[in-house]
Amino acid sequence: MPALANNELRIVGFLCNWCSYGGADTAGVARASQPTDLRIIRVPCSGRVDPLFVLKALLNGADGVLVSGCHPRDCHYGTGNFYARRRLEVLKRFLPILGIDPARFSYTWVSASEGQRWQKVVSRFTEEIHALGPAPRFEAVEPLAKACSWTQESKGPVSVISPELLEQLKKAIADKLPELDCVLGWQEGRDLLHSVPLFIRSEDDLTKLRCDATCHNNLVRYLPDLKGQKVGIIVRSCEARSVVQLLQEGLISREELVVFALPCQGLLDLPRLEEALGRYQRLEDLTLTETTLRLRVDGQERVFQTADFRQSRCEQCPGELPAIADQSFGDFSGQTASQTLPPELAFLDSLNLQERMGFWRACMERCILCHACRNSCPMCVCRDQCIAESREPHWQSAEASVKEKFFFQIIHALHLAGRCTGCGECQANCPVGLPIFALRAHLNRIVSELFDGYQAGCDPKAVPPLLTYSQEEAHIHERSWE
Amino acid sequence: MQLAYFPGCSAKGSSLDYELSTQAVMAALGITLKEIADWNCCGSTPAHAVSSLLSSALCARNLDLAARAGADLLATPCPSCLSNLKATSKRLEDASFRQKVNALLDAPCAETLPKTTSVMQAMAELVSLDELAQKAKLSLKGLKLVAYYGCLMSRPAELMQFEDPENPMLMERMLTALGAEMLDFPLKTACCGAAFGIPQRPLTAKNSGRILELAANLGADAIVTCCPLCQMNLDLRQAQAEKAMGRRFALPAPYYTQILGLALGLSPEDLGLAKLVVPMDGLLAKLTPKQAPLASEAPSSEVSE
Amino acid sequence: MRIGVFICHCGSNIAGTVDCAQVAAKAALFPDVVYATDPMYTCAEPGQAAIEEAIHSHKLDGVVVASCSPRMHEPTFRKTVERAGLNPYMFEMANIREHVSWIGRDIEANTRKATELVRLAVEKLRHNRPLQAQEFPITRRVLIIGGGVAGIQAALDCADGGIPVVLVEREATIGGKMAKLDKTFPTVDCSACILGPKMVDVAQHPLITLYAHAEIEAISGYVGNFSVSIRQRTTYVDWSKCTGCGTCTEKCPSKKSYDHFNEGIAPTTAITIAFPQAIPKKAVINKDFCRQLNGKKCAVCAKVCPTGAIDFAMEDSFVTENVGSIVVATGYDLMDWTIYGQYGHGRYPDVITSLAYERLMNASGPTGGHIVRPSDGKEPKSVVFVQCVGSRDPAIGRPYCSGFCCMYTAKQAILTKDHIQDSQSYVFYMDIRAPGKMYDEFTRRAQEEYGTHYIRGRVSQIFPDGQGQLTVLGMDTLLGRPVEIKADLVVLAVGIEASRGARELAEKLRISYDAYGFFLESHVKLKPVETNTAGVFLAGVCQGAKDIPASVAQGSAAAAKVLTLFARETLASNPQIAQVTAKRCVGCGKCLRCCPFGAIKSSLVKGEEKAEVIATMCQGCGLCTATCPQGAIQLAHATDDHILAEVNALCRL
Repeated sequence: MPALANNELRIVGFLCNWCSYGGADTAGVARASQPTDLRIIRVPCSGRVDPLFVLKALLNGADGVLVSGCHPRDCHYGTGNFYARRRLEVLKRFLPILGIDPARFSYTWVSASEGQRWQKVVSRFTEEIHALGPAPRFEAVEPLAKACSWTQESKGPVSVISPELLEQLKKAIADKLPELDCVLGWQEGRDLLHSVPLFIRSEDDLTKLRCDATCHNNLVRYLPDLKGQKVGIIVRSCEARSVVQLLQEGLISREELVVFALPCQGLLDLPRLEEALGRYQRLEDLTLTETTLRLRVDGQERVFQTADFRQSRCEQCPGELPAIADQSFGDFSGQTASQTLPPELAFLDSLNLQERMGFWRACMERCILCHACRNSCPMCVCRDQCIAESREPHWQSAEASVKEKFFFQIIHALHLAGRCTGCGECQANCPVGLPIFALRAHLNRIVSELFDGYQAGCDPKAVPPLLTYSQEEAHIHERSWE
Repeated sequence: MQLAYFPGCSAKGSSLDYELSTQAVMAALGITLKEIADWNCCGSTPAHAVSSLLSSALCARNLDLAARAGADLLATPCPSCLSNLKATSKRLEDASFRQKVNALLDAPCAETLPKTTSVMQAMAELVSLDELAQKAKLSLKGLKLVAYYGCLMSRPAELMQFEDPENPMLMERMLTALGAEMLDFPLKTACCGAAFGIPQRPLTAKNSGRILELAANLGADAIVTCCPLCQMNLDLRQAQAEKAMGRRFALPAPYYTQILGLALGLSPEDLGLAKLVVPMDGLLAKLTPKQAPLASEAPSSEVSE
Repeated sequence: MRIGVFICHCGSNIAGTVDCAQVAAKAALFPDVVYATDPMYTCAEPGQAAIEEAIHSHKLDGVVVASCSPRMHEPTFRKTVERAGLNPYMFEMANIREHVSWIGRDIEANTRKATELVRLAVEKLRHNRPLQAQEFPITRRVLIIGGGVAGIQAALDCADGGIPVVLVEREATIGGKMAKLDKTFPTVDCSACILGPKMVDVAQHPLITLYAHAEIEAISGYVGNFSVSIRQRTTYVDWSKCTGCGTCTEKCPSKKSYDHFNEGIAPTTAITIAFPQAIPKKAVINKDFCRQLNGKKCAVCAKVCPTGAIDFAMEDSFVTENVGSIVVATGYDLMDWTIYGQYGHGRYPDVITSLAYERLMNASGPTGGHIVRPSDGKEPKSVVFVQCVGSRDPAIGRPYCSGFCCMYTAKQAILTKDHIQDSQSYVFYMDIRAPGKMYDEFTRRAQEEYGTHYIRGRVSQIFPDGQGQLTVLGMDTLLGRPVEIKADLVVLAVGIEASRGARELAEKLRISYDAYGFFLESHVKLKPVETNTAGVFLAGVCQGAKDIPASVAQGSAAAAKVLTLFARETLASNPQIAQVTAKRCVGCGKCLRCCPFGAIKSSLVKGEEKAEVIATMCQGCGLCTATCPQGAIQLAHATDDHILAEVNALCRL
């Protein structure tokens, strides 16, 4: 391709065939002169515009992207632009966390008869993009070697399940087990500090069951794979929300599920604990109370205040257990909602756009594209069909460039918009410790702002906000070009 | 209640009776008019025809004086003054224009200037129709009146913000509350021809004549006015209008404040009635003492005595 | 692939500001492009022949034409490549006219932009594969909304062509505005005499089902197979029993009802039959004025009705009709002229609308055709007509011309003189718009033979002079002086607006409307009765101001479109629809939830739930494709890969 002339910038437009493309035609017929920067991609409907196309364009060198559709209520297909409005608004607000100036993306409505309006839209948008200048290229920005600060004030206790309560639970599971193919729980992993999932199929398996603050794996991740089997699952508040979300999406069936609910005050942040412990050979003993964790490591006694090692995600826990439990054990009254900003999001908020892009650039150099974040996510239901690895559609090339790795993170994050229940498994399982939960936390913040405080996984009857629409959106101020 | 007040030049000359009656009525209603000190001409004539900048500077000085006196609302009885004050406020929103105006003033005018309004609207804001009716001593029952606003009070509509620009009803509401029968007067916002009072006197006579003729045809006892220039054309120059229309009207053209004043029981002297060229004698004779409380919603329910 | 690229000059339309030869030369270097050229007129017969020839000689299996908007010529070129043996969907267009050459004069920039748009099209084409349309059966019935003259014409033409018609009319009788008129211009023949027989034909035609006093509640489906829910508004009279004898209307004691048909010039009874020639000739009770329905004891109509048709307990009912096509002929309403304070806000009884004047002149109107003043019943001797009241008035947001007022005003001036020999008419006009056949002659007749005084200028004020007459103040802009006329009656030629409820109906039909609520045709010049929704056609004033001959012509044109559509037993579906790759689908149902057409269903494949597209229902919007996280459902020729290819072609530098 010929290089662009020095004064032209690269602006990509996605126009719906019926209104805006026709509006651009009308402008042409009226010989309404416009800047030449814009290149138009014709799509059937603004609802066809996957926000990922916009990000693909922005990451691959577009200086600006414009989406234009029929006016709301005037969609050729009836409701396509209503969905587009929600998704594109979420996208617009998502861009800054990536370090992309949200002014580089705009969406608007132009009808087939509004040639003049189209001229105005193109001229204004082009002008705005020129005012911003060429977009910084992700692969070319200076990496920002700055670590996310984790020093979050954590005052809460962590979960301790009393032996009596555990026995009660075991008894209940044993009673139910004959009807079930298996029950999902946790067991000790490589040592006392590390737990792994447990698939209880017999009473013998039950003896291995463990349910304390070290058990962080979100067991819900296995449920869609077990569809068709009758399964029991032990949940705490965060797992319960994931269950609710999957129920909303029809990916698991309530009839096939028996839910055993436990109260939870908080979980231990193992990566930070490991860091504090340093390298060790043998973990000989572990005693956990709500406030202290005693370990005997290589013959030495080590004592930690649990409050210092409580997982940061527990600070944002909405507390209340969604009403899905078949059987509940223990006292749930201690669970209270707390709404602090996750430390990784607070950190990113403190950076400017340029620093954010530099920060992610540095992160992506460390990303080894192992997909552990995706594989541990209870909401990543595509499994083998993830578009990050498919040939058709071919969203991602096999090249392991920072740009492609970043795009993978964006796919994962955007696919969770309005669905992420905030369990934080993606980040907890990252072998290189990237603060990728920040992307989801930011999306959750956007969704909450736009859709009246909506939180995924709280109400089994709710419709995920990006899978529905309102004719009049209370919190979306549509961009006007008048 | 206090109200910052800009009388305008006519008040001190040709429309002294408007000034007298405005002061008297407001006092009777318990509103103190605080005339802004050292005010000057609003720039209406002839300044605005020569230099709109000068005209605005004159108004800006008045607005500035009012602002410095601590007023946030400034009322004037004269529609022409009001029009100029309002236009100036609007134009001063433009920073570059404000700069030019400031250059003509001794000191830059205050950042925040008072809002402006007509005395009529301010009165209606401060005194409800019921209160007005309660304070009345005489009933206007039996009087057939037409209200004439002139062309300037409600226009330009977006600037003056005076009711429906084609069919204002404020005087009608006030006078109905006092018992008068207000006739539908389609020419209430027509031009009296004032602007041509000197260069094209026949035109003025015809315009004023048409207004007077309709009022006479409708059987009005008086045509109630609110603009010094209109009043002059309808009253002082009524003979010229009669000549132009070829008939006699003998139709009094008092200010609305004079009629309000009469109802409030003020003396003809206080209201400057002697200043009217077409006498109001016939009308005065029709005034009756107030009997039952005058309910603003149903004045006709009263039994006439 | 072997792709051929054609860069059209479009005469000088494109070549004037784009170096077409250079674009073609660059295009020849794009991947898979084996042939590139720049013909003068690609869409012309030789241009199309050249494409066919190139397909044969260069063994092309895909073609890109860079020319005008695909909205204009995509179908043309699809047929061209099909003639040459290619699948019509192995074709892409680049719009280098409306989007390039016509909007910028910088040849260098335009050439660069055109080259990139061609590259875009080539990249998209490389992902295309042949698509086959499916045939689906159609319901050969038509719904016509609105029983004015346009709707009547469309209904009769369709029915005469053998197509069953469902005609829905909001009022109690068909006939629309034309039924209210006295005479029609320029022949001054009686409106009822020419419309009446057509209305009777509608009533008697075996293929026409008429729903009067009914409205469209909901519409679903798509071309060939619409399902329409019709709300039969309650009349409180069982029409199956009502014989239209009129006894009830004579005896009804509530005699102060507003008479909508007669534009309120005289009151009527609460139970009415709109006019003697009404179709259907059935009685309707006006709920607002009926004593019985307002809690008073009455029911006189029920007592006198010889067939016992009165039913005070009647409620709205619903009917569903299945049709294959829809003609919209909802006409117009007069704008609310009382917003004009200078004309009295509607306070003066002798300032009336031209439509009310028609009822005054009409022999079957309340005055028996005698022109009298509403205020005192006296014959007016001086009548002033004011044109463009609410037309061509940007000050109130109505800049459009209402089209036919000049003509009917001339007609009314003529008729006034016919009715009252010693009367004088005045017409205030802005411009006389009389471009139809015999139209200008007609307005001249009004002036020259009937002595109508035409004054070019607007009226500034109308007011009663207090002596029984109205004073009309205005301006004669030709003489440059103000005029003042004493009038006994003022007739306002009130501007038209889209029929009330037009916007809501448009949303039900998924058709577009302009800023004033008039429905948008598919193309201003070349598709005047089509809409952007396949199978929905327009007739009459609902599309824009027009007079009776034009409305009738458009009614017939819409009928012709319906008959053309129904000339086949089946329709070919658009093959550019969504397709599911079953192995990628996880059965989450997100696509089902979003699809605006209910065109996706869940079906079991090897015991697992998978999405399945119903080919005939899918309209190809692609919302599902944007919704599916794993890309399992892809809209043909707008797949993720197609759009990614385009994005990459533009952004990968």
